[in-house]
Amino acid sequence: MTASTTIWLLLCVLAPTLLGLATLFLPQKAITLRTLLALAGPVLSIVILAQHLAGHGVAAAADPMATPVISWIPLLNMNLSFLVDGLGAFFGLLVAGIGVLIVLYARGYFGPDEASLYRFYPTLGFFTTAMMGIVLSDYLLVTVLFWELTSISSFLLIGWDRYDKHAVKLAMQAFFTTGLGGMFLMGGVLMFGFATDIGLGGGGLWRWSEVLALGPGRISPSDPFIIASFALMLFGAATKSAQWPFHYWLPGAMAAPTPVSAYLHSATMVKAGVFLVARMFPVFAVLDLWSNILVPLGAFTMVLGAVVALNQHDLKRIFAYTTVSQLGLLMCVYGLGGMAAGGHPNIEWGITQIANHAFYKAPLFIIAGALGHYISRDITQLNGAFRKQPWMVLTMLLGGYALAAGPGTVSFPAKEFFLHAIHESAESIGPWWMLLMAMAAVTAMCNVAIFVRLLTTLMGWPGGMKPGASHGHDDHAAHGHGEHEHEHGPWAQMIWIPALALVSLQYVGGLAPGLWSQWFAPLETNIHHFAEGVPSALHAFTHPGVPLYVSLIAIICGVSIGLSPLMRGAIVDVHDRIYPAMYWLAVTGGGRAFRLVQTGRFRNYMVFVLLAFLAAYVASMVLDPTMLDWPQVESPFEFFPGVLLGAIICTTAILMPIVQSRVVRVIILGSCGFSVVGMYLLYQAPDLALTQLMFEIISVILFVLVLRMLPDKGETDRASGRWWRFSLGTLTGVAIGWLTLVSAQSGAEPRLGEFFAQHSYSGTELTDGRGGGGNNIVNVTLVDFRGFDTLGEITVLSIAALGVFSLFPRRKPLPTELEFDDQMARGVAL
Amino acid sequence: MTIILSICVAVVFAVSLYLMTGRELKSIAMGVFLLGHAANLSIIAMSRTPVRHEPQLLKGAPILTEGFDPANPMSSIVDPLPQALILTAIVIGFAVMAFLLSLLVLTSRKTGTLSIEELGVVATQDD
Amino acid sequence: MTISSPVLRNSMRLILPLMLLYALYAMLKGHNEPGGGFIGGMIMATAICTYRMSHGFAAQLRLMPVHPRVLIFLGLGLALGTSTVPLLLGEPFLRSAVGVFHLPFSGHAFHYASAMAFDLGVMLVVVGVGVGMITQLSEELE
Repeated sequence: MTASTTIWLLLCVLAPTLLGLATLFLPQKAITLRTLLALAGPVLSIVILAQHLAGHGVAAAADPMATPVISWIPLLNMNLSFLVDGLGAFFGLLVAGIGVLIVLYARGYFGPDEASLYRFYPTLGFFTTAMMGIVLSDYLLVTVLFWELTSISSFLLIGWDRYDKHAVKLAMQAFFTTGLGGMFLMGGVLMFGFATDIGLGGGGLWRWSEVLALGPGRISPSDPFIIASFALMLFGAATKSAQWPFHYWLPGAMAAPTPVSAYLHSATMVKAGVFLVARMFPVFAVLDLWSNILVPLGAFTMVLGAVVALNQHDLKRIFAYTTVSQLGLLMCVYGLGGMAAGGHPNIEWGITQIANHAFYKAPLFIIAGALGHYISRDITQLNGAFRKQPWMVLTMLLGGYALAAGPGTVSFPAKEFFLHAIHESAESIGPWWMLLMAMAAVTAMCNVAIFVRLLTTLMGWPGGMKPGASHGHDDHAAHGHGEHEHEHGPWAQMIWIPALALVSLQYVGGLAPGLWSQWFAPLETNIHHFAEGVPSALHAFTHPGVPLYVSLIAIICGVSIGLSPLMRGAIVDVHDRIYPAMYWLAVTGGGRAFRLVQTGRFRNYMVFVLLAFLAAYVASMVLDPTMLDWPQVESPFEFFPGVLLGAIICTTAILMPIVQSRVVRVIILGSCGFSVVGMYLLYQAPDLALTQLMFEIISVILFVLVLRMLPDKGETDRASGRWWRFSLGTLTGVAIGWLTLVSAQSGAEPRLGEFFAQHSYSGTELTDGRGGGGNNIVNVTLVDFRGFDTLGEITVLSIAALGVFSLFPRRKPLPTELEFDDQMARGVAL
Repeated sequence: MTIILSICVAVVFAVSLYLMTGRELKSIAMGVFLLGHAANLSIIAMSRTPVRHEPQLLKGAPILTEGFDPANPMSSIVDPLPQALILTAIVIGFAVMAFLLSLLVLTSRKTGTLSIEELGVVATQDD
Repeated sequence: MTISSPVLRNSMRLILPLMLLYALYAMLKGHNEPGGGFIGGMIMATAICTYRMSHGFAAQLRLMPVHPRVLIFLGLGLALGTSTVPLLLGEPFLRSAVGVFHLPFSGHAFHYASAMAFDLGVMLVVVGVGVGMITQLSEELE
């Protein structure tokens, strides 16, 4: 493989975005051309990927050099390389393939609405690219990057209707939840990279191909860093794949137009978490945590989603909750895979499980949107819809049959695999397998009931749902273009044909399992017990076992629940309150906390700061009692001028708060400053003395100017509070004075100043012989060693001066104002 | 010497904090002014000047002369680094002071008062 | 604001040229003796401001016939320019050049450091800021 392979794969990832952006250059009216151009993006991705697979085959997991690396940011371990193994290839084809169908569907869904299509295709292309990037990137951090990009693009797509506040709020909810997960994922990836760094060259594992090849040797299941990094990554996967308690964002995201729901929330984005789990599976499944978290979490989500789905009326919400349920099932499948059964991982045909869900759920969403477009999305309003829209209803029922996992679909063997795995797990978890089996049965039952309900209602048979009091949902409100005319002609059929195309794959798998096995076997890495291929429905009936009996019980119960009048209401999921509650806590609660601390009173801030300083001071004294040792100092009276100047400084300072007259105050301030000048001279600092002298002169001028402009009310200093001000000031002053004394005596050698002194004129080998070329070390320091600092300082000076200039308005009125005044005067005179 | 300077730092610091916790903006401005002195003095005290017995004026200033010994630079001169730091601090201090005083002038013109309590009343009225 | 004190007026007339001269000297010799851009700038700003106090705004305008913000602009531009020139020559930002320059006629060796141009910029900014602020505030007072 050469570098061109990587470039081709990069193009494969980027094609949807590039061509999506290209559609922006078309005139807005050219919607057919626009659709075709947008279509070319995912088609190009498929072609490149297929070409790659034909040329190089599916990458073996043990090959750490999957494709050549193109350096991008090597310092951060982010480079461009792609891993086209079975999982990546399958997901890549799935994302791009459904992308093609969604482009067509969007054309039928939005109809002749040019503005929507104009905005939709580039965003959709952006999302497709992000998703392709997740599934194909070889570098973990690049995967994280694309992961975040899916969060951003899905935010744009969910909040499609920018004027609907509710939709925008739900988009924020999805963005926050999945974005939070993204943060955790990134933390996990970084921690994993550092934890696997064994230090002997090569560094940590930053590529999926390395992780898969070398990971098993480097990961010890008891290393706390590995466990923590795994937990963090799993958190990211759980939020993205809508696991309890984060599943609330997925039904909320149904505010999106249906093409988005069908794409993001059935087949692709929500599967990113499952994808991540599947990626990690070969390496991380050895951790105890793997099964202990994934199985309960997945199983609970699965049952919860199914039960809530049964109690919904809006078609999109029903399918959203069944998606939650199915995602829980997939997590559970991989969780069970962490257990051993008969000497091999307890997982069968994992990719088939994922494909199964995508192939029926996306069509269901598509048709839900289509029905919402033409009739209603509320199931109670759809009684007898078959007579009005036979093709759509037929397609939906085909998908619904797969949801119920009826024999003849690939869903049926997929469920058999799952039940088989639960049965096998008895080897590891003992009698708990029965609980799992019961949960699976309840889920299957709910799915069957939903299908039965759809069937009876849509066909108008007895037992179907009847219109209730609740108002209907439809898709006109959802994308905000009101009652527009529907598309006519061949494009109008695009609103259901993509669904039929996709759902037919279910039946190919169900009726011709040999064909399915032939396609999927090269992609699968987990085929153990069912090595001869995906079994047909007949196989299950000829080899009866616990899974079959459970299936039959579930079907019988499901049919009766579906026909019974039980559980026909629409309930509100309590988890919908999680995000609003968090939002309230952050915004309102945070505001209250803020107002508690930020009083807006300068004095309070001062007191806070000083008390914090004193507390830190005392703490450091306690930690290091040597700070309290009396330093060795010479006698203070040895040098008379110093004593005199110090006395002047102290006296003038103490006089400041006592004296009331402002003129005297300025004089005192000045004499204090001039004594400081003398102090600088004693400390051998001629530059400082000169500067300070000039500073004092100009400050006195400044103070005189300003004080003349201020009202002279004298000090309105009330007696109250004087004592605590005095004691706080004295305490802090003494603390800082002591700090000065102690640090002046501490003998840290060598001092930094030595470097400056040595290099001020000529250099040494430290600086390649370069010196500052000056004898005045202070000045060389300012303009040379610390020149950047000085540059910043003169900038600050300039900004302060500009501030003073702009604070005061121009005193002379502008000419236009004069004219205006003039005219006013004349107007009054007239 | 150091002890004298430390006492100066303590006194000036205490006074400036006393002024800064006061109620009047003019006092606060003067407190800020004194605080700058105190901080500069504190830094210069750390330059460990060789004023031991009979300091000659500017004999040890950080300027390279004939007798400078690069191997032992601190033997004949004082540490130049604190001086460089203070030099810029003084100039910046002037600019900040001028800006602060301009704000004071403007505040007193717009509100007619310089008392913090009365300003708080004005601020709540504006809300 | 003008202070009508004859003592100040007359002494200022003597002191001003000395101060300005010393400011320039301090700036130019700053690399080797006490002085430098900050100090030179402060001296010059103080001189001009004091002169203004004694002789009035018109006198200041005769002495310095530009608005102080022009000085700030020039100074910042000069400092930034001197610091970016090394970039064009492939050297790091702010690197200074040191060398000896022989005066053409007398043959005196003249040590120079490119940091001096930077220092000149600093001085211009300090003068502009000092004079500008005092000017603005005294205009307010008048």
